[in-house]
Amino acid sequence: MSMFDLSELENDALVEIFNIGVGQAAASMSAIVHEAVRMSVPSISFIPRAEAARLLGGRDPAGPERICGVSQHYQGAFETEAILMFPEDKSLEIVRLMVGESVPLKELTEMEQEAMCEIGNIILNSCVGTLANIFQHELQGSLPQYHVGTSDEILTATGSGADTVVLMLHIDFLLEKHQIHGYVAFVLDISALHDLKGQINLYIARAMGQA
Amino acid sequence: MTAMHALPAHDQLALLRSILCAVNIGAIVLDGERRIVLWNEWMIRHSGLTQDKAVGADFFAVCPGLRGGRVDAAIQQALYNNFPSLLSQTLNKAPFALYASALAAARHERIQQAVEVTPIAVDGAPRHCLIQITDVSIAVAREKLLREQTMVLRSQTFSDGLTGIANRRHFDVAMEKEHRRAKRGGTPLSLLMIDIDHFKAYNDHYGHQKGDQCLIQVAAALAGMLKRPCDLMARYGGEEFAMILPETDVEQATLMAETIRARAHGLAIPHERSATDTRQVTVSIGIATQKVDAPVEIDALIGAADRALYQAKRAGRNRTAAQLP
Repeated sequence: MSMFDLSELENDALVEIFNIGVGQAAASMSAIVHEAVRMSVPSISFIPRAEAARLLGGRDPAGPERICGVSQHYQGAFETEAILMFPEDKSLEIVRLMVGESVPLKELTEMEQEAMCEIGNIILNSCVGTLANIFQHELQGSLPQYHVGTSDEILTATGSGADTVVLMLHIDFLLEKHQIHGYVAFVLDISALHDLKGQINLYIARAMGQA
Repeated sequence: MTAMHALPAHDQLALLRSILCAVNIGAIVLDGERRIVLWNEWMIRHSGLTQDKAVGADFFAVCPGLRGGRVDAAIQQALYNNFPSLLSQTLNKAPFALYASALAAARHERIQQAVEVTPIAVDGAPRHCLIQITDVSIAVAREKLLREQTMVLRSQTFSDGLTGIANRRHFDVAMEKEHRRAKRGGTPLSLLMIDIDHFKAYNDHYGHQKGDQCLIQVAAALAGMLKRPCDLMARYGGEEFAMILPETDVEQATLMAETIRARAHGLAIPHERSATDTRQVTVSIGIATQKVDAPVEIDALIGAADRALYQAKRAGRNRTAAQLP
């Protein structure tokens, strides 16, 4: 399958932008818990939706892994469904680390789900906000929604069609020596993809012009 | 906007205003300068601030405690970035000074809150934002109950079968929790390692049943000395016990250890084969304290308490010793 590719320059620019975004999110979360929270985006990739579902589903022969997701819809300079996703056990770990209190239950309680939504809201708004600032365009966002299920179910529930492309950010989350890997997926259709690429190139041109 | 065609425009506006005032959640609207444009009935009822005090005023003059915090950041996100924010009760403990009743207000018991801050586009004016506050007190209470009952169930797998006090697993979980709490709260944390002196000789001489009884008696007596709910005594291994003492500095811990040592001695359990001159069951205690300005790893704290215990044993038993982690 032919994939939408970014040049190395475009790729580096996006990784840098997202690292600024998650850095701000980490600072906000540190302020909430009064402890050092670190976040980074080591890499990004563009993959077809079906492949994204497989990547997130893990390789468990017992069936696809259960994922917790927090989604928000954004529109403006480009339109996307942004979804923060962690394997369910990792989301339990994150919320309980953030809350500083462990509840020995296998699923997030209603209040914990809300806390997870807030964490997602902070991370997604920071990522998209940094993009919007750098693209010099405003975007509108919806309030976060909580999902739990297989990655395929979550991608479907957030309204992404089978032919969409996913910009996948690998996220490292570090709190109290616990390192947790997760993903932020930006689901894009073909026109959104071109809008995004156009914006990146405008940014690069501006950055080069100023250099 | 939803269809309200039947009414003329000014009536629609009046109706919308009435609805916003009547809804059973807190609604505040701020203009682009963060002045209060709307403060609904629910807010009046629970804040005690009337419309004439709130409307037109600077939001942070009315709610000074919120400046610089999460609510402030969320308002900025809405006004300047056009993004909505969610503030969960779990991560933001009741930011607004809102009370269910005058009695609750007198007790300073705030309504538990979930807060949403959303941008509102206004024709011909800079963007406004809507702050919605939902009372989640019932859900919070329900989860507290759930958590407590789960903890009760869990505590049954967390106690030592012989002595009935906390087991090693419980110790590990409690230690993890208290260690974090001490770091977050900037408080000292002390750990005592308590070992019954010459217990093998006791077992050999009196038999295992008597040995078990001795363990039960010592464990019950020492655990009974802990008065605060956060203190924990656990059976750490064979005849060794550990005591977690949060918010306890090295002086307080030393005092406590000495009292415990005296209490064990005071039980006056005969021990013919004790090499100490008392011919009674005694304990040695190692003390380690994590200071506020020098947090260490849990292993280092346990290691220091172990070393201190070894020091107390070597110095002749029936005594306490402290070591720095």
